[in-house]
Amino acid sequence: MAEGVLSPGVNLEAFSQAIAAIQALRSSVTRVFDCLKDGMRNKETLEGREKGFVAAFQESLHSVSRDLGELERLSNLVGKPSENHPLHNSGLLSLDPVQDKTPLYSQLLQAYKWSNKLQYHAGLASGLLNQQSLKRSANQMGVSAKRRPKAQPTTLVLPPQYVDDVINRIDRMFPEMSIQLSRPNGTSAMLLVTLGKVLKVIVVMRSLFIDRTIVKGYSENVYTEDGKLDIWSKSNYQVFQKVTDHATTALLHYQLPQMPDVVVRSFMTWLRSYIKLFQAPCQRCGKFLQDGLPPTWRDFRTLEAFHDTCRQ
Amino acid sequence: MGVTCVAQVPVAEGKSVQQTVELLTRKLELLGAEKQGTFCVDCETYHTAASTISSQGQTGKLMYVMHNSEYPLSCFGLFENGPCLIADANFDILMVKLKGFFQNAKANKIESRGTRYQYCDFLVKVGTVTMGPSARGISVEVEYCPCVVANDCWNLLMEFMQSFMGNHTPGIPSVFGTKHDSTYSPGDTMVQYMELFNKIRKQQQVPVAGIR
Repeated sequence: MAEGVLSPGVNLEAFSQAIAAIQALRSSVTRVFDCLKDGMRNKETLEGREKGFVAAFQESLHSVSRDLGELERLSNLVGKPSENHPLHNSGLLSLDPVQDKTPLYSQLLQAYKWSNKLQYHAGLASGLLNQQSLKRSANQMGVSAKRRPKAQPTTLVLPPQYVDDVINRIDRMFPEMSIQLSRPNGTSAMLLVTLGKVLKVIVVMRSLFIDRTIVKGYSENVYTEDGKLDIWSKSNYQVFQKVTDHATTALLHYQLPQMPDVVVRSFMTWLRSYIKLFQAPCQRCGKFLQDGLPPTWRDFRTLEAFHDTCRQ
Repeated sequence: MGVTCVAQVPVAEGKSVQQTVELLTRKLELLGAEKQGTFCVDCETYHTAASTISSQGQTGKLMYVMHNSEYPLSCFGLFENGPCLIADANFDILMVKLKGFFQNAKANKIESRGTRYQYCDFLVKVGTVTMGPSARGISVEVEYCPCVVANDCWNLLMEFMQSFMGNHTPGIPSVFGTKHDSTYSPGDTMVQYMELFNKIRKQQQVPVAGIR
């Protein structure tokens, strides 16, 4: 990856030639102006003076056009090294001369390679695990995998349109749940999910992977002062802080690297069970409250309500 | 702002109002509730002036102007069984200007003062209801802050109230019945306080210890 920029053997030569050509061009241009400034001097006859001036002027103009032609030829050789670089603008980091102090670029490359490798291994592992179907629910996954045998090669680079479609379909699936999609920072989508009059959830996505979720109360403010979604501050209420923790656990539970849309759908189905957050008693102890909190846990498979300490 | 239930707790047999309040607050503190300052809800009664009744041939209606320390910038104007108006705090001054239509029955001023407790997402306010110089009863307000739909969390609220009020836990407040799935508002809390104060006013002559 780095070779294109770091060791352009031929290009470096062309570079130095081009610089020399620029210098030549500048000096010849200077000569043109010098000649104009000096004017018709030091000649006995008027005719001789005119002739000499025109000849000198013509010659210097010729040399300008010659130098310019040379520079254009060289500039084609130099090419455009940074634009078609795979890492786009981050490739420019490699131009930093003080590599020892800021080894950002090499670290970046390492991280990129590492993440690619991780993605690849995760894909292999999930393929193997699916064959070994340990879970009862894995049968269902097998069916859907057969129906759609072509898995997405790398799920990090799905087109935004596809993400929009998946989210829209989920939005239509659950009438009591409204999903608002926005992209305030480039291609990554952010969802504001409003569940009945119970809670609001901010979901930060990277492509179709859910990176982070925050659960807040229905009456709580989810925007910052400048009108953007507030993805950092937590809820003021203990019950929603607890639900946020459980939602993060759910993100780790629902993993299926080859079919990210299924993951998002399962997560939303699970989230929807919170519509009865304040109405459902615990399935184990039969009570509503424990330590002042309602049953905040929802079983991943059955979606039944439990208190955090009753769920084992 | 969440869903609130306001209830009256009878004075315990052989105890004074103050002692019963202490019993309640001690139970709350044992539960793990934390003290968070004080609160006050007051209510002034206005009669429709005699001149307007005769000219329009209507029966005199009582109007209540209430304040709640939880909403210090607001003032609540209520009719019995009627609309609840939420106004800015200087509504009081407007009422003085309307002397010709509404007359303040100063002797009827009633208020509840006490301590504010927080337990998890619950707010509990135990107050002594006083009318003039005498203590008339005890009010308990329980608010479940995260929820905005009254009927969603009534069972949960009741279970919490049972944990410290025992068999004095109230039934479902009448304002909950009319709300269905709509959002609960501070005005609904004031209606409950108004009903509680009216109930306590009617008990005037009864000896305090016998109230249930």
